[in-house]
Amino acid sequence: MAQRLEITLNPDLPDAEGLGIKRKAFDYFSIEIDSIRTISIVTIDKEIDQLCADDAGDEQGLDKVGLIRVRTEIFTNPVTQISSYSPLDIDCDWIIWVGLRPGVRDNPGSTAVEAIEDLLSIKFARDEDVYTSKRYCITGANITREQMEKIAAELLSNDIIEQSQVYSREEWDPEVGIGIIIPKVMLDHTPTITNVSIDSDETLMNISFERNLALNPNDVPTIRNYFLKEEIKAERAQYGLSDPTDLELEYISQGRSDHCNHNTFQGLFKYTDLATGETEEIDNLFNTCIKEPTLKLQKEKDWVISVLWDNAGAGRFDDDHFYVITGETHNSPSNMEAYGGSITGIVGVYRDPMGTGKGAKLVMGGYGFCVGHRNYDDDLTPKLHPRRLLDGVIEGVRDGGNKSGIPTTFGQVSFDTGYMGKCLVFVTAIGIMPSTVDGAPSDQKKASPGDLLIMCGGRIGKDGIHGVTASSEVFSEHTPAGHVQIGDPYTQKKIQDFLIQVRDEGLITFITDNGGGGLSSSIGESARSSGGCKVFLEKAPLKYDGLDQWEIWISESQERMTLAIKPENLDRFMELSKKHAVESTVLGEYTDSGMLHITYDGKPCAYVDLDFLESGFPQWEFDAQWQPPHLRGLYEPSTKEPTDYNKLLTDMLGRPNICSKEWVTRQYDHEVQGTSVIKPLVGEDRDVNSDAAVIRPVLSSNRGLAFSQSLLPWYSAIDAGNMTECTIDEALRRVIAVGADPDHVGGVDNFCWPNIEFDETTNPDGKHKAAQLVRSCKALRDMCLACGIPLLSGKDSMYVDGYLPGKYGEMQKVSALETMQFSALARVEDIEKCISMDFKSHGDFIYLIGNTKDELGASEYYQMLGHIGLNVPTVTPDAFMKSYRKLYAAICKGLAASVHGVYRGGLGVHLALAAAAGNLGMNVYLEKIPFESSEKITRNDTALFSESSGRFIVTVQPEDVEEFEKTLSDIPCTCIGQVIDDDTMLIKGIDGTEVINTPVSGLKKAWKKPFEDLI
Amino acid sequence: MAVKSLVLTGYGLNCDNETAHAFELAGAQADIVHINSLIDGEVDILQYQVMSFIGGFCWGDDHGAGVVQAVRMKTNLGDKILEFIEKGNLVLGICNGFQALVNLGLLPAIDNDYTARTVALTYNDCGNFRDDWVKLTVNPDSPCVFTKGLQNLEYPIRHGEGKFYADDATIEKLIANNQVALRYANNDFEPTESEFPANPNGSLYDIAGICDPSGRIFGLMPHPEAFNHPTNHPAWTRNKAKNKKQGTPTDNGPTPGILLFKNCVDYFVS
Repeated sequence: MAQRLEITLNPDLPDAEGLGIKRKAFDYFSIEIDSIRTISIVTIDKEIDQLCADDAGDEQGLDKVGLIRVRTEIFTNPVTQISSYSPLDIDCDWIIWVGLRPGVRDNPGSTAVEAIEDLLSIKFARDEDVYTSKRYCITGANITREQMEKIAAELLSNDIIEQSQVYSREEWDPEVGIGIIIPKVMLDHTPTITNVSIDSDETLMNISFERNLALNPNDVPTIRNYFLKEEIKAERAQYGLSDPTDLELEYISQGRSDHCNHNTFQGLFKYTDLATGETEEIDNLFNTCIKEPTLKLQKEKDWVISVLWDNAGAGRFDDDHFYVITGETHNSPSNMEAYGGSITGIVGVYRDPMGTGKGAKLVMGGYGFCVGHRNYDDDLTPKLHPRRLLDGVIEGVRDGGNKSGIPTTFGQVSFDTGYMGKCLVFVTAIGIMPSTVDGAPSDQKKASPGDLLIMCGGRIGKDGIHGVTASSEVFSEHTPAGHVQIGDPYTQKKIQDFLIQVRDEGLITFITDNGGGGLSSSIGESARSSGGCKVFLEKAPLKYDGLDQWEIWISESQERMTLAIKPENLDRFMELSKKHAVESTVLGEYTDSGMLHITYDGKPCAYVDLDFLESGFPQWEFDAQWQPPHLRGLYEPSTKEPTDYNKLLTDMLGRPNICSKEWVTRQYDHEVQGTSVIKPLVGEDRDVNSDAAVIRPVLSSNRGLAFSQSLLPWYSAIDAGNMTECTIDEALRRVIAVGADPDHVGGVDNFCWPNIEFDETTNPDGKHKAAQLVRSCKALRDMCLACGIPLLSGKDSMYVDGYLPGKYGEMQKVSALETMQFSALARVEDIEKCISMDFKSHGDFIYLIGNTKDELGASEYYQMLGHIGLNVPTVTPDAFMKSYRKLYAAICKGLAASVHGVYRGGLGVHLALAAAAGNLGMNVYLEKIPFESSEKITRNDTALFSESSGRFIVTVQPEDVEEFEKTLSDIPCTCIGQVIDDDTMLIKGIDGTEVINTPVSGLKKAWKKPFEDLI
Repeated sequence: MAVKSLVLTGYGLNCDNETAHAFELAGAQADIVHINSLIDGEVDILQYQVMSFIGGFCWGDDHGAGVVQAVRMKTNLGDKILEFIEKGNLVLGICNGFQALVNLGLLPAIDNDYTARTVALTYNDCGNFRDDWVKLTVNPDSPCVFTKGLQNLEYPIRHGEGKFYADDATIEKLIANNQVALRYANNDFEPTESEFPANPNGSLYDIAGICDPSGRIFGLMPHPEAFNHPTNHPAWTRNKAKNKKQGTPTDNGPTPGILLFKNCVDYFVS
């Protein structure tokens, strides 16, 4: 008989969670609630006589003492909480209960099991568990059931992972409460290996549809040919196999997926410029635009250690350490279940450095969220409103990052209606490892024949398995809602601690993480290192019985690593595994047979050539057609200069893509590990965004790592090539602004693109989007080569589209702007030379580095006025690099008091922010800003809001002016004004008349206002 | 012989590295030890003079911050820890470690009862996890070994459950016994009267850290170990510019964070 324990805060304590829900109910839905009290429910599904060991039972025949100890010593704080095994009597008008669906990861439930086991020295059997849920006791005079249903569905639960129930006062039985709800997975299924007929291409395609294998029709003949070859058939027969098994096809499907194999980037692009009629064939964007330039730069830069093959790229930090970095997206899952998707994303990306080389320790994380407008109230109705989606992804990354003990130091949030079809959730992970482990280079790893194949971490369930079974299974209260996952940072933190210790003891020969594709991908990868493997799949630890072999093989259950270790090290490995409370299991061994060989209880499941996936599959092909922007009907708008610049600047500072998002930053622990040098928020009041973050990852060293990210999708409305080069330039300038060495910058490209495959009805502009991808990749290549930025890592997510119901029941396709987030990671020689963006003291001179051009195309200013324009910002990387190196020299000499890049919003916005950070004013003369003589700036709005790249605002103390100007000679750099000890932003226009005269404090207030009530 | 400091780790704790680093900077010898190494007897606490319960999310903090850690430590090591304390050693709890200490009953130990849970660190009034720097005033009359000689501190806080809560009588006793060693303060280093964000969590009486009656057990929500280098301070770039302008030399002494750890070492040296 299960026990249900209810716990709540003492009535005299404020219920912060309840207050938050009350506020959101009013802000989002105008529903007025008087009060909400939250009750946590812990349902212990365990034979009670075990819980109660030797104690005497109470009137119900239950042991009191064990249950009482569980209640009082674990689940109830005697100072702040009350609790009971019967429903708590909290007076209210309505009750909403919310609990997880079966199979959804219940992190508090798992830790509750650990705690009870520890306290009572008992063990939970595999079919026993603890389930947590909540009920909310709500009072309010005029609340209707409809309102409660709305709050349950749109605020408190997501039906993909959760179930909920609304009770009115009349419906609530105070004796019964919610009843005893056990969301246990029960699969009445015997694991079965199925052979799949391949008598024709058509049969195989039909099976692909039925089983949701998503095989590409072009791949099907290659797959059939392999299995139909006589020598293959003969060899397979020896191992008891004939037609491919379901597991084998799943393996091939996973390995050939765009997610794993990057077929789009490796495709053949036929590019036509419609204006000139010129055509070009680009065979493999990855090879030509990412791999080649990076290999070239690796030869030139001795600090580039490991690129293009491992889970993350590595660079040299110092003689004794390498740093590693990678970045990913987790868009589709977050779009369905924002919290679960984003926590799984951040915890998942943190496994990549853990599985890079022989394993790195995580030192820093970053995030990027792209969603629809938070206050969207137009006609489209996505499953999750952008506001709710954003709340969820923020919280997911918060819990995932904070509970991992990794500082989340930098990030950005961008709003655009294009992200309503699918949101973007970028997560970036940075780690550090000793340059040698046990005398060998740490970036190298190799499994050898005879090494044991080990999986460690979480258990395997139906998590993340594609929906093949959804149609064939009858839905019941015990059907797992497994396709959505909830990351578990606690379990993974234990794994990380464990792996660092086994690495340092030299026990690891190969390690990789289990991400997309699960064991299929991780074992496939590690087996290619040794040249083969034999897997005994029945040894894989499961969450519950009833999984088919193919499901075990491709399940994406989280928090798992796959390793190779020498048999003689097994005992020590297992000893440490136990010490760290991490489950590790030997699943098989590595061989040099060239084959992936899998059995289950002696029955054959797979026998496939490991190199099959890398051979003979047809290349994907795309038509790409480029119509230059002026021929697409884009033009510069005809406007006359504004007359009220004070109001214009104030309003611009409050726009969602410019304004403060302090509420996000403060939820993220950005100082754990004690390494913080430049924080995400700086200035006198610690409230304005820094250009980049700097940490000191090795506490005994004064070297640092500077990290920034940039994302400028709006320029893609004109040309994704410009979008790409400007994004890279911004990321680069950001790390330079805090004091990083411009010649030691590595990059991570994360492409998020709408579908580029042309289809007359479903994707009529596919060829344009394909051309944008080609232009973007070429710009990436050119910028990286010109600026000397090797691509340490990168990923692509190619289907950022969604169909949303509109006002009249029609379904509208919403595609994102072509987007690339670029992350820059740079070395800082001496962190004590680092610099922040805030104006420091009055009397300092303000310099502007870099030419301002008439480049308002797709700017924040034009967007604000409802235009796109044509003159999108451009880059001149060779000239820029010259400036950047000189600025770096000035920073190294200590000549700059503050440095801040000019980014989205232009000079006006960024002067205001630097002043607001320092709580100081300025006198600035626009007539003095540098420009090219051929491109004279004639209008104040152009000067203030052009988003020309390559620019910095620098303040210099008066005594340093001479040396500063000498150091920055021969580049566009002029003194444009002075910092003043007065709360005023004073700007004289190009003709010398005053254009801006407004209090800096007012500008700061406007910048902080839009989200100031959020915490 | 250097003072030996034990820094607990494992089960989701995460400030082990920087806490050990801070102790080393303060002149101690610090060992990072897994909780299970104490339980299985591989390491004996009694070999150490200082034991630190550190920051992190032990057991995910799913059932109240620090609760499950306290249960595990009490169940498996309760007597040993009391013996460690009786021998005159020091115990420090930072953030999650402070939460564990109050759940173990080692704090506040009013009337020298080192087992009762009489105070709590509960959910922040602001309703969310928060990372910020706070100003702190030190009670000069407190017996607290760790804050001796310190005044007007600035440390970072990073927690979702840091609101110090107890009934009025308990709070009054803590004040009367000078067990309230650290309080959140405003820009002028005066008590905030619970004003957010100077008091970041709504702690009663602005309490940021308390000690036991002996002053040898101390718990605090702010993270002194995260101020182990001058560049950790949020205003260091501003101060650098100011010093340069005024020709003031930079202070190369230990940071105020390290001074707290130095007090541990000095306690045994003196």
